[in-house]
This record gives sequence, structure tokens and C-alpha cells, in this order.
Amino acid sequence: MNRRRWLIHLVLRALAHRKGRTLLLLAVLAMASSLATALGIVSSSMGNRVAEEVRKYGANLIVIPESARLDIGSGGLNFGVVSEPAYLQQSLVEEALLKSGLKAGVSFHLRGALHMKDADVMVEGVNFSDIRRLFPWWQLRGNWPQVGETVVGNDLASRMKLKVGDMVELAGIANKRELRISGIVTSGGEEDALLFMALPELQQTLGLGGLVTLVRLMVTAGGDTLKTSAAALQMLIPTAKVTEVRQTARTSEGLLAKVKLLMLMVTAVVLVSAGSSVAGTMSTTVLERGKEIGLMKAMGGTRWEVMLIFCGEAAMLGVLGGVAGYLFGSVIAQFITRTVFSASADFIPWFICISLGVSLFLALLGSIGPMISVFRLDPVRSLRGE
Amino acid sequence: MSSAIIETNGLTRSYGDICALKPLDLLVPEGEWLSVMGHSGSGKSTLMNLVGGLDRPTSGTLRVGGEELLALNEDGLARFRREFVGIIFQQHHLVPYLTAVENVMMAQYFHSVPDEAEARHALERVGLGHRLKNRPGELSGGEQQRVCIARAIINSPKLLLGDEPTGNLDNKSTVMVMELLKELRAEERFTVIMVTHNQEVAAWGDRTIHLDDGVLVREDRLKVEGKAG
Repeated sequence: MNRRRWLIHLVLRALAHRKGRTLLLLAVLAMASSLATALGIVSSSMGNRVAEEVRKYGANLIVIPESARLDIGSGGLNFGVVSEPAYLQQSLVEEALLKSGLKAGVSFHLRGALHMKDADVMVEGVNFSDIRRLFPWWQLRGNWPQVGETVVGNDLASRMKLKVGDMVELAGIANKRELRISGIVTSGGEEDALLFMALPELQQTLGLGGLVTLVRLMVTAGGDTLKTSAAALQMLIPTAKVTEVRQTARTSEGLLAKVKLLMLMVTAVVLVSAGSSVAGTMSTTVLERGKEIGLMKAMGGTRWEVMLIFCGEAAMLGVLGGVAGYLFGSVIAQFITRTVFSASADFIPWFICISLGVSLFLALLGSIGPMISVFRLDPVRSLRGE
Repeated sequence: MSSAIIETNGLTRSYGDICALKPLDLLVPEGEWLSVMGHSGSGKSTLMNLVGGLDRPTSGTLRVGGEELLALNEDGLARFRREFVGIIFQQHHLVPYLTAVENVMMAQYFHSVPDEAEARHALERVGLGHRLKNRPGELSGGEQQRVCIARAIINSPKLLLGDEPTGNLDNKSTVMVMELLKELRAEERFTVIMVTHNQEVAAWGDRTIHLDDGVLVREDRLKVEGKAG
């Protein structure tokens, strides 16, 4: 048997001999490392989850033209502000996006009034494939439109008694167009009062070729990165206003941050308690094993060799506690993500390194004091039991 | 006469104001069996600890096997103990969670490399071939002491120290242990320093020194037919 195998054998025998104390130390180390693991897994899994939510909930940046504002008033009297419709050049936005190098899904919108059935209705020109991607939660009765077709918001359809299959005539400044209603859409928002048609068709009808009133951007980023992206784009399109959209994802981010902070604090408290507990238990063990340490030294063990045996015990506990902590931590992470976020946590194998690191750190840190005692113990006095 | 394995000049050891060993000049030839007798507190264990490199003298010189122990640091003393000394304790001091053979291997670990075959052989030499896998709690006092002897001789020490090795044994076990030590000494030719209260045990040695209050007060050269080797 070589020296390393003997050392491992000796360490295992010593730990098995003190089952109760070994189990207590393992429980403490596993608890501390499982919390650190759970925190890491929740942070990582939910970070990805929030990024997914950002995509799911649609655009996170919008670009609108700076409307011409005019204060109306005279002397001390002010009658308020009027603004006239303003537009953005679609090509200008495309060029700015190219220059900024921003990776984003983009959707162009033009909103304007058309005459229908002796009334003016608000119509939005869109690319329907973008709409389906940006607003996956919209509910549609009927079908998404083909060429020569339109979809109508649910409120507008009720108000004007429109149904799927009806033909409607829409008149604009420049043109007139007859379209078939292929579906009625419910968004739960202001879109329910709109009529949607293909963007080029509306631009043509209104005589606003190449112009848009709104650009929705879906940037795959969060937090500061999104703000930076918005600022960069603003610099490139000075005639527009680039605004961050506060979505439901923000709530998730906020909740995640709070959960992270809470777990971080609990973990810190647990780590300190665990460290103290390990130190206390190891000190008791060393005191109890004074004669054994004295014997090892009397047989010719140097201070370092004897200390290595006790370090080996601490390291063995650290490794076992780390593995157990990883398993428990994964379960805790699943519980938290299911309870708080209604989602499942990712399985992250490399987090075992974090768990092992925490457990080993605690086991060895808690053993420093007892190790110093081992180092200093006088063999004669310890053999006498003093 | 053989050369001296132990040589002390003016060797003292004090613990605070208490002088446990007063200036002692002693020569122990290689291969001698020296018995050290005295009452409790006479300084005999102190002398054994100093000679075994377990403790440091307060003053004087102490050469063991040509090594000046005062010149060695802690780790140097540890190396001296592992290479040169085997110790048999009154209380046995066996590791409770290790088997008999593993207790012997422990001494091999600190000396060089644990070798189970050698450890088994050592236990067979002391008549414990049938108790290899038993733990100390499963052995009688005499058997435990024989494990202790196997552990002390496994690394072929030049100097075997016994601190009241039969102090906890009955007469029958005492004789068995002493006969065993005599046989092993004849085979291994190590020097023995044995601290004892017991006149009969001391009589197994070649020479007995008597300590009283840290002072060597008497020296007897013994030759008991059929006992001492």
C-alpha cells in the first residue's frame, strides 16, 4: 500500500469511527454548499428565463419621430401644446441599425386614419409576420391576412358590426382600396380598436411611401446593455426618440434580483454559522484525539505529516459535503424556481465545482484553529493526557 | 566494550522552578539493556523522554547514536525518532479504530511506506498471528502490549524505550512480554532502556540505575542466570 492510499484509508477509518460527529459536519457543510449552489443555479436559470421572457413579451425599444411641438398662447396666457403628425424615414432607421451593429428584431409601423362606412377609423400598417412574432399572445378568430385582406380589432369589429369574410372599402388621401376581413384580433389593449393592413398598402393609400410612425425593436439584452443600446441608437437618429419599454420581464428581473439578494444574505449567514460550527466540532475532535496526535508524533510523525492527516479528514468531509450540497442545492433550486417563477431550473453540472469549492473552503477554514493546535501539541504532554 | 550509543554530560531538565533531572552524566554502550528505577517523580520518565527525542533538555549535552539532540529542531527530532527509536508505552496507546496490523502499519507510514506483509510478520513474531484484524478493544492487556512491541520494532530501531511496559499487566503476561523482548533483542541487537518500578522487571536488564529526585543515586550491574540475556 503506498503512502497516499494509506493516508486515505486512515482518514476514512477515523471518520467512520466518529460517525455521529462526521454526519454532523457533513450536514453542516452540505447545507452551506447547497445554499450556495441553489443561489447559483437560480440566478443562472432565471437569468436565461428572464431573457427568454424579454423575447416573449416582444419589443423592448421603440423608436418614434420627434413630433413638431408648438406652444399656443399669448402673453401670460397659454392654451397648451399642439403637435402635428410626424414620420420617420424607414430607410434612415435601417441605416442606423446597420451602423450601430445592434442585434435586434425590427418591426415597422405606420398609423393613420382612413375613411370607412362614413366614419374615420385608425388603421395600422404592419408586416404581419413581425406582428405574429412580437405579439404571440394575440388571439385571432379567422386567419392571418393574405394579399388583399385585412384583420380588424375586436372592439372596432363590434362597434362597426364587422365579421370575418366581410368586404370593406377604405379611402385615404391618395388612394382607395377594397379589402376582405380575414380575421378578428383580440389583444387586450388599444390595438383592439384598430384595423390592420400590410404596411406598403397603407403607405400607398395615405401617400406616405417609405415613411413610418413607429419602429419596434426587440433587442436581445437586458439592464444596462439595453440602456446603452438605446443611447447608441439615439445618437444615430437625432430626429427620433428612442425609448425603453418597461415590460413584464422587468418585474421578473426585479423579483429575481430580490430572490438573489435574499438567498445571498441567507447564504452569508449560513456560511458564517457553518464555519463556526465546523471550527467548534473540529476543535473538540482535536482535543479528544490529543493522545493519538501525541502518539503519531512519538512514532516520528513531523508536525506537517500529522497535520496532513487532519487536513485530509477536513478535505474528505469537504468533498463529501460538496457533492451532497450540489445534489441538495439542485433540489432547492428546482423548488424555488417552481414556487417563485413557475419554471424549472436548468441542470448545470459544472456547479458542482462551486459546491465543492464552498464546502472545501469552509471545512479547511474551520480547521485552521484546530490545525494550529495539532501543530503545537507536545507529544509528551498529550500522551499523558494533559 | 561496545561504543556508547547514549552519552550525556551535565544533562538537566527543569519545568519552571522544578528541576526534574539534575546534572546527569551517563554512558550507555550499544546493545545494553539498561533498567531505570526510581519512585514517582524521580526523573526516570523525564530521562527516557529526553533520550527518545520526545523532550528537550534544559542544559547539558545529549548524544544518541552520534546525534547531538540539542542541535535538532522539531522536525529533526521527529526524523530522529522515526529512524532510531521504538517506544513501548505502559498505556499501549494503540489507535482504537485501527486493527492490530493497521496499528503496526501506522509506524511504517511515518517511517517509510506501509507494508502489510511486514506488519503481519511482526505480529506473528510477537505471537499475534491470529489477532491481525482485531481492534485494540477486542484484545487483552497482554495482547495489546504485544501489538505495541510489534509496532515499536517494525522499523528495526537501534534504541527501544520501554516506559513501564508491564505496569498494567499481570505476572503471567509480564513474564511473557519480558521473554518476548529478550528474544527480540537477541535477534535485533537493539539497545533497551526500560523504566520500571518493578525490581523483578529491572532484573531482566544488564544494568540498573536508580534515580531519586532527579539524581542518579545508585548503579547495579546485574546478571541473573536464565533471565537476562
